[in-house]
Amino acid sequence: MTFYLGVALVVAAVLLFILQPVVKGLHASLERGDDELTETEARKRVALLALRDVEYDFLAGKLDEDDYRSMKSQLTAEALAALEADEAARGAGAATTDADLEAEIARVRAGLRSGVVCADCGFANDKGSRFCSACGHALHGKAVGEAAGR
Amino acid sequence: MILLGEFALWISLPVALWGMVLGYTGGRTQRGDLVLSAERSVYAVFLLLALASSGVVAAFLGDRFEYWYVANYSNRELELFYKITGLWAGQRGSLLFWALLLGFFSSLAVFMNRAKNREFMPYVAGVLQTILAFFIVVLLFANVNPFEQLGFTPANGQGLNPQLQNYWMTIHPPTLYLGFTAFTIPFAFGIAALLSGRLDSRWIQLTRRWILTSWLFLSVGIVMGMRWAYEELGWGGYWFWDPVENASLLPWLTATAFLHSIQIQETRGMLKVWNMSLVLLTFLLTIFATFLTRSGLIESVHSFAQEIRIALIFLGFMGAVLAASIVLILYRLPSLKSDNQIESFVSRESAFLFNNLMFIGIAFTVMWGTMFPLISEGVTGQQISVGPPFFQKVNFPLGLILLALAGIGPVIAWRRATKKNLQRNFSTPVIVGLVVAAALWISGARHALALTTWGISAFVLTVIVTEFWKGTRARARIEGEGYATALFHLVSRNRRRWGGYIVHVAIVFIFMAFAGAAYNVDERIHMVPGDVAEVTSPMGHTYALTYEGLSVSLNNGQRNLMWQAIATVSVTKDGKPQGILTTEKRRYATQEAGAPPMTEVGIRSYPLEDLYLILSALDDIEGAVSADSEAQGLDLQVLIKPLVSWIWLGTLTLVGGTLIALWPSVDRRRAAETEPELAAEPATAGASD
Repeated sequence: MTFYLGVALVVAAVLLFILQPVVKGLHASLERGDDELTETEARKRVALLALRDVEYDFLAGKLDEDDYRSMKSQLTAEALAALEADEAARGAGAATTDADLEAEIARVRAGLRSGVVCADCGFANDKGSRFCSACGHALHGKAVGEAAGR
Repeated sequence: MILLGEFALWISLPVALWGMVLGYTGGRTQRGDLVLSAERSVYAVFLLLALASSGVVAAFLGDRFEYWYVANYSNRELELFYKITGLWAGQRGSLLFWALLLGFFSSLAVFMNRAKNREFMPYVAGVLQTILAFFIVVLLFANVNPFEQLGFTPANGQGLNPQLQNYWMTIHPPTLYLGFTAFTIPFAFGIAALLSGRLDSRWIQLTRRWILTSWLFLSVGIVMGMRWAYEELGWGGYWFWDPVENASLLPWLTATAFLHSIQIQETRGMLKVWNMSLVLLTFLLTIFATFLTRSGLIESVHSFAQEIRIALIFLGFMGAVLAASIVLILYRLPSLKSDNQIESFVSRESAFLFNNLMFIGIAFTVMWGTMFPLISEGVTGQQISVGPPFFQKVNFPLGLILLALAGIGPVIAWRRATKKNLQRNFSTPVIVGLVVAAALWISGARHALALTTWGISAFVLTVIVTEFWKGTRARARIEGEGYATALFHLVSRNRRRWGGYIVHVAIVFIFMAFAGAAYNVDERIHMVPGDVAEVTSPMGHTYALTYEGLSVSLNNGQRNLMWQAIATVSVTKDGKPQGILTTEKRRYATQEAGAPPMTEVGIRSYPLEDLYLILSALDDIEGAVSADSEAQGLDLQVLIKPLVSWIWLGTLTLVGGTLIALWPSVDRRRAAETEPELAAEPATAGASD
């Protein structure tokens, strides 16, 4: 007797629990949360972290000046591209645009650019350059300031 | 309770199938109600399996020998502790236990993602329920139902194999199962990525902790098995390339490869198809491990089961999963293109690739060596065994390359390492490695493989210690912190990187210990009470062993034990007394008549070597058991095993390093807020999080 009572209880509980959403129309969200990274955001993050890595390697004495400069210019160009791609994606999905985030991105970008990195080929030019010494492309920034983001 | 458990097992199947269908359709049609129902069914299946498992435990506790499983793995005399662990002592129970753990992890994964990563979750629920349904089908229809009844009630059960009555043996299988089942979650997310079309590194980032957790349990579970073999099997070794050991090693190898290769995908956007393949392969190997251990296909110390029907169901399922996954990967192939290409042969990317090749190479060797005897037996009808020499010949060189990569990988530059970069980072470690090898050679060590291992170990340790030192120094300089604070902050700012390095150190310790086996001492000495034997270890210590005598007890102490003969040996090391060691022969009531008695070994561990005593044979068993004082002569096997303790020490280090890498970092949102400032504090951080 207790066995059948147990069976009835278990079956009823299970059915109620799993059928309720369908019968009552309870919905689980299928949307991406606001704080979750989108693909372009993820790429941007990876690019920035790679930059951070190179700085770390340089400061820890694992890279010499030349290697550091060439890697940094390459990574900076990639980071810039990722930032722009993210911004474009964000613009397309206009609703998520957030003034704070925009400002931050602009700040990072300005930081990257102030290092007179060529937007075309990614070469890191000397202070004061107006044209890229690698490809001759005109440099956007007014060619002031030091290296990135500080 | 028992009947209710059996019933719960039966209804868990339709519930799992329901969740499977609704998960996939809910994801496909984007209907939230179907998805919610599918997710709830995951919890339901877990609770039903918990009910079923309680039923099995209740049958054990109630000595219900009318159940086949209880009758075969327990008897009235069995200690309470082993009755509870009876749930995973044999094939039938352990399959249910496996499903239970899988249900637990599945519920945990669904619960943790109830409000996030929703684009994956419908498919994750669908995949998890598919795998759960498979295990429930096996339990119900493959002739392995733990609730099967005999049709009569024997007066007593068969009892539990005495070799399984060991502390390590009760926790070793569950630990491995935790590792195996936890890996199902990354697999489910991988498939969900393929199904949902979100194919960037997101699924990898989401499951990184699951992968690490699974890897941790697998590693610890494997080492526990080694420890059990070392203490209980009585032949003085910890690894014998036994098929069951190999079965647990295979997914560990591919999971380790996966742990490394995902880092390339995360930082460089490469190897997407490869990572999908590795997660699939590892998952299949976890299923394969259950299949090998629990189908009795291969004779081994561990294989206690004898069924063939279950083998076919397992193979069918693995084939279906493989085919479906390959179709999915091919379907998504255009979206799985690499974002980048490897720029140079000498770079961190290619170090990672080599690492993967080595792991896969070892995995194939182990797989081949494990399966070859089986295939050959199937074809020729003759039993051939592939012994340790085969595995060692192939795996030692590959293992050494991997060991070297553990030192090269962390410091070689991404993308392209220049000559200067290599000189800067590797000159000192290479010199240290050579000096250590030379010093060992001068001090008399001549074993080439062992010397190479220790030389490479010194190289890797130097690299990693230098890494810690450089990072700490840079941070101390920039932030003006003391060295201890700087080191603490360095590690806590990038746990993943530094935790990984600590695991590399752990692996070095374990390899050093493996190489120590080249200097094992093994002597067999006949002794009567009062005899003294002297054995000198490769480290130069002299052990004097005095055989004090044999004490025999009958029907005494532990249950199921008929008699035990304990040889007492007092030990001195270089003249200093070290107390006594005992080694025994035991006979259990549950052993088959005519089977040789079991051996219990005596082990004394020192930091640099273990003294390991085996009572290999009694001169006169009958006489000894009847307490004849003239019948105390015996053969004592004396082993000295250098560096074995370093395996256990290395394992603790490995656990520590993995926990550091696993520990939750700063709250995600805070991380997102501070992100743009990352570039502003470079030396304090380090590689990607």
